[in-house]
Amino acid sequence: MAPGTDAQRPHAPPHAGGSWWPPGLAVGAVAVLVTAWPLLDRVLPGTEPVRSGHALAVGSSEDVEAELTFRRDGWALRTGTSTAERVYHFSRGPAELTLSTVTPTTAVPPTAPELWRGLDRTLRAGDGSTRLGPPDPTRAEDGTRGLTGTLTSDTESGTAVLYPSPDGRFAVSMTLTGRDATRADLADVDDVLTSITFTREDA
Amino acid sequence: MSRARDSRSAAVPAPRRSRSHDRATGSGAPRGGAPGAGTGGAGEAGAGTGGTGEAGAGTGGRPTPHHAYPDAPRPPALAATAAIALGSAAGLLVLLGQLSGSARVFPGEVVLALVLAAATFAFGFWLFRRIRPVRTPDRFPCAVAALWGLTAATGAAVIANSALRSAWSSVLGLDLATAWGAALTAPFNEELLKLAGVVLVATAFPRALRGPADGFVLGALAGLGFEVTENLLYAVSAIVQSGATAGALSVVQSAVLRVGVTGPGSHWAMTAVAGTALGLLAPVAWRPPPGRAAAATGLVLLAMAMHWLLDAPVFGNTVPVILAKVLVIFTAAMLVYLAARRDHRRRVRAALAAGGAAEGLPRSAALALASRGGRYRELRRSAPGDHAPVRERQRRLLDDAEEAAAISRGAAPS
Repeated sequence: MAPGTDAQRPHAPPHAGGSWWPPGLAVGAVAVLVTAWPLLDRVLPGTEPVRSGHALAVGSSEDVEAELTFRRDGWALRTGTSTAERVYHFSRGPAELTLSTVTPTTAVPPTAPELWRGLDRTLRAGDGSTRLGPPDPTRAEDGTRGLTGTLTSDTESGTAVLYPSPDGRFAVSMTLTGRDATRADLADVDDVLTSITFTREDA
Repeated sequence: MSRARDSRSAAVPAPRRSRSHDRATGSGAPRGGAPGAGTGGAGEAGAGTGGTGEAGAGTGGRPTPHHAYPDAPRPPALAATAAIALGSAAGLLVLLGQLSGSARVFPGEVVLALVLAAATFAFGFWLFRRIRPVRTPDRFPCAVAALWGLTAATGAAVIANSALRSAWSSVLGLDLATAWGAALTAPFNEELLKLAGVVLVATAFPRALRGPADGFVLGALAGLGFEVTENLLYAVSAIVQSGATAGALSVVQSAVLRVGVTGPGSHWAMTAVAGTALGLLAPVAWRPPPGRAAAATGLVLLAMAMHWLLDAPVFGNTVPVILAKVLVIFTAAMLVYLAARRDHRRRVRAALAAGGAAEGLPRSAALALASRGGRYRELRRSAPGDHAPVRERQRRLLDDAEEAAAISRGAAPS
């Protein structure tokens, strides 16, 4: 190596352009991309209605599939912020339901309390004021055991539930909140928190 | 030809003195352009001087009198510098907004992700500068290109991608948008955002982009920056997606997958190919003849196609399929690199032969300067006290040879 010869002269070569159009085009392209797509997204409908009785596949492993069934009309899926089988955002009036599916990567599946603590940390990463209360046992309609507890933050309160899949390979959490929702509003729709079923593929 | 003859007849040190004088006083040569080429366009410089272009082809003419250095940056360069600074600051703010919550709750995991990102960046930065043929490029423009990828391009991509993917969800429905959203969003948004940075770097530091090989390197570095930040975001996302029960493991697994499996055929490769396109355009003052414009467009489209291939859920998402896609992308990038490298070395060697002849150097000795090993061997052969002057002569010959190569590239037909 001859490092001393590697340094190049700074500044411009003979073709050093005084042309404005390349940087103008570059800046224009960036500006268009960060403004045009958000504007387009704003004019498109960001939600789609969820039919009563509709079962939505919300997570799966090799052996188990989870479905959430909506018993009531009026729920809407926010498609823009949802990702299939990972995170869903629903709303019904002032109530907001967020469903997340997590897939632990450890060889030994984490316990439900460990997953609950993980959910607490995950929620705090999104909103630093969010706190989960101590968990209580709960059961889904199909008998799957889970945990439930209160959720509070500076701006809203509600309920969180968490169901590890029977094979331990994934878990589904749901939070039912609403910035403008009263306890009665949330109580009206909290049956959705238990309307999840885990089905073994070979069943 | 008369200019070429004048160049040959000039004593070698003379142009150096004259250039130094010009640079010191900020007078003499037109700013950034060949004499008579008012706008400094490469096409004009090459066409106007003729013999200079021939110098690279071995006529013996040296380009020295025809290239001059701007005594101050031009307004577009200043504007591009400002755009890079603003874009990087804005992108950094967006990224801090993305990461601050996770950094607060998962500090150890985020530090681990940062360490892995820094290691990836350090290795990539060294490697991509090292692969430039003939000699390593100037560090500062390279760092700025990488900075754009690290901050501005990724920050803008966070905004543009989320909005476009949301729009796709509205149009296609959630399931289809989840499957195809990345392939329908990232190749267009991200390739343009990364490439915009290379254009700005080329405007702010025109000497950094004088041909396809420079474009490949700057593009690779902008892509590297993008890839490193994206890896960081994915690592933090992996903590959440795994239930936040074993964050460090999630970070390491994400890094292994994104560096070890998809890394060889990811953003650096795509933007390197697109950057090569800019290396075709910059030497002709961004006013390419049709053939060269078509080639540049083809390279940008190839970069987007490579990106699409990686993101599209075609052939499944198994590890062998992903590895096959990465291999295709890596091979495409290497073919482009080898072509750019060959072109650069050929032009520089021709110019070195001419420049060496003008200094009375044997042809073999002049050509040896085109490689790092050749320069090192010459230094080793020289007496210890001669190292500094030998090194200076090497640098001067290489400066002029690369200058001639750039001019010949601008003068060459598409």
